Formats: sequence, C-alpha cells, structure tokens
Amino acid sequence: MSDRARFERQVLPHVDAAYNLARWLTRNDHDADDVLQEAMLRAYRFFGGLRGEARPWLLAIVRNACWSWLQANRPAELAADEAGEPDAPGPESILARELDRRAVNAAIAGLPVPFREALVLRELEDFSYKDIARIAGIPIGTVMSRLARARRLLAEALKPAAAAPRLRVHK
Amino acid sequence: MRTDEKLHAYLDGELDAAASLELEREMAQNPGLRAGHERLRELSAAVREKADYHAAPARFKVRSQKPRAWLLAPAFALVLAAGLALGVFLAQPRDDDSLGAAVVATHVRSTLAGRLIDVASSDQHTVKPWLSARLPFSPPVADLSPEGYVLAGARLDYLDGQNVAALVYRRRQHVIDVFVWPSRDSAHSAYARDGFNVVRFGSGGMRYWIVSDLNRNELADFARLLAR
Repeated sequence: MSDRARFERQVLPHVDAAYNLARWLTRNDHDADDVLQEAMLRAYRFFGGLRGEARPWLLAIVRNACWSWLQANRPAELAADEAGEPDAPGPESILARELDRRAVNAAIAGLPVPFREALVLRELEDFSYKDIARIAGIPIGTVMSRLARARRLLAEALKPAAAAPRLRVHK
Repeated sequence: MRTDEKLHAYLDGELDAAASLELEREMAQNPGLRAGHERLRELSAAVREKADYHAAPARFKVRSQKPRAWLLAPAFALVLAAGLALGVFLAQPRDDDSLGAAVVATHVRSTLAGRLIDVASSDQHTVKPWLSARLPFSPPVADLSPEGYVLAGARLDYLDGQNVAALVYRRRQHVIDVFVWPSRDSAHSAYARDGFNVVRFGSGGMRYWIVSDLNRNELADFARLLAR
C-alpha cells in the first residue's frame, strides 16, 4: 500500500475530530480551516514517524498548530490562571437539562484556552486523561486540575443569574 | 488528589477500583458529596449533548473510493436471505408493528445496496465522533470485541421519521445492524421476522433496534452487552 493510501486509511477518518478541536480553539471557521490545512500537511510529512494510534497523534499535531497560531495572532488568549482555589466547592447547582445549546456553546467558548482544550478533548472526543496529557504535552495531574477547573468555570458561567441577568424581575 | 478532583476522575472513569470504592462509600455517608457528583454528571451530560461538534469541511475528506472487500462475502449471503425475505413481505398481512418491518427492510436494503458502512472502523473513538458530527445526538458506541462482537463501522439511516445511527457489528459471517436514536420508549421484546432475529430495548434515553441473521441466543446476549 502506498504511503498516501495508508495516510488516507489511518489518518483521514480522524479529520472531523481534528477540525472540531481546531474550531473550538480558534473559535471561528476561517482560522480553523487555515490551522487544519497546515496541520494536515505537517501530519502527512511526519506520517512515517507515527507509532501507535493515529487519533491522539493527529490531535497532538493539530493542538500544537493551534497554539502556534494563537501565539502569533492572539497571544493574550493563551494566558490562564492555573492556580485553583484549594477548597473550592464543586460546580454550582444548575438546571443542566434546561440549558439551551447556545448557552452551552457560549460558556465553553468563554473558557481560557488551556481549560477549553481539556474539556473539548474529554467531553467531545472522549479521550482518556493519558491521551489528553500526551496531546497537550502536560502531566496527567495537570489534566486533572485543568478539567476540574474547566467544569467549575463552566458551571459558574451557566448559572441562571450569570446566563440571563436581564431576565431577573424585581418587584 | 483533592476530593473535588477525585469526583472528576470518578466521573471520567479514571479512578482505580480501590479509590472508586472508597469514594462510593464516602458518598453514601455524605449527601453533599453525592449531590456534587450528581451536578457534575449533569453538567458533563449537558456538554456532551448540547455543545456543537464541528465536522471538517468536505475538502479535507477527499479520498480514493475503493470497494471494501470484506463487505462482499456477507453481502452476498444476505442477498439470498433478502430475496426470500422480500417474498415473505409480499405474502404477509399488515401488522401493527410497522416500525419492526421498517427496521428489517432497512437492514435488507442497505445490505442489498452494499451500503452497509459510511465510516469503516473498529475503533469506537473514531465511530462515535463521526456519528456525533452528523446527528443531533451522540449515540453510545460500545467496544464488544472481547466478547466476540467486532465493530465494523457505522452509517446514517432514516427510521421512525428521523435520522438515526446505524452501528454495524460482525460475529463470524453475520452482520448485525444496531439502530439507535433518542427516545423515552423503553419497551423490550425479541422476535423473529422474515428469517431475521430482531431485538428492541431502551436504555439510557436511547431506543435500540437490533437486526441480524445471527441466531436468537447470541443476539440476545449481544443485546444484554449493549444494554449494560
């Protein structure tokens, strides 16, 4: 089988996952398209070095392409306060079933990049902590604290009062 | 690990057996902790069900189309079965179970047309995002290869007035179609229809219809594994 055919068989099935990550990290179609284009070329070039599973391998390439792109174009977005409050309570009570899609999408888009990527890789792509650590190039302990932080921030953003302050009625 | 991180790891299936047991014991004693777990579970479910999944634009998906050889053998066997089945369809009086008939007909049609699979992969982590990207829900995709039911891939299909996920498993030479869509209906039944065995059940807010020419006992086992 030619290299190209092998690439198509092993890597192309994961292009939706790759785009989904790029789209969530850049937050618009145009930039996601550019970043994915570049990442796919890089993946093709380094395909010979692939050992093991193609999916986390491809997503690591896409993730790095996203970070390089953000560093060059929107460096402020990469900053994130990693220090969580030591005894922070769990997520606030929210009526998760009643949330609408727009609120959920906006809340995820509002997370700082390091937390957003952990959440997207875990909840939308179903990666294990080990794979997320490999893709993001961070220790498993950091995956855990970022995921916990991401969910806490998400719950805060989705609190009824924060999501729709104008709907409050004062009598 | 902090207790709140433990709750996340437990939710994500990343806590080892001993630590999970300990946390479960703690939760049984501590209603606050239990409520925290429940809230996390709901939040996670809301993200999985409601967040957009962005599929790649078509230009990233150009690939050479070749027939997949393994499909041809079982497809040929089913052409014979389907020929018989179609004869029986014509002879059979109408019954109330029109969805059951539609499920079997869809299975036969996709086999006849050789359109069993849109995404060919034995990896649940490939199949699930592929389906999630194309459906307004995210169907559970189980890896049952240790039990001898090998995931072959999936396709989109249309049943009961909506787009549904069709998961394709194989056992020996038999093809098993699993149709999944969200529904509260949880009725369970198993029967034979036109030479095919059919099992339907509800689990986790999803409706499952399973069709195959596999024998009844093995198909019932398969259904039990899926419903776990």
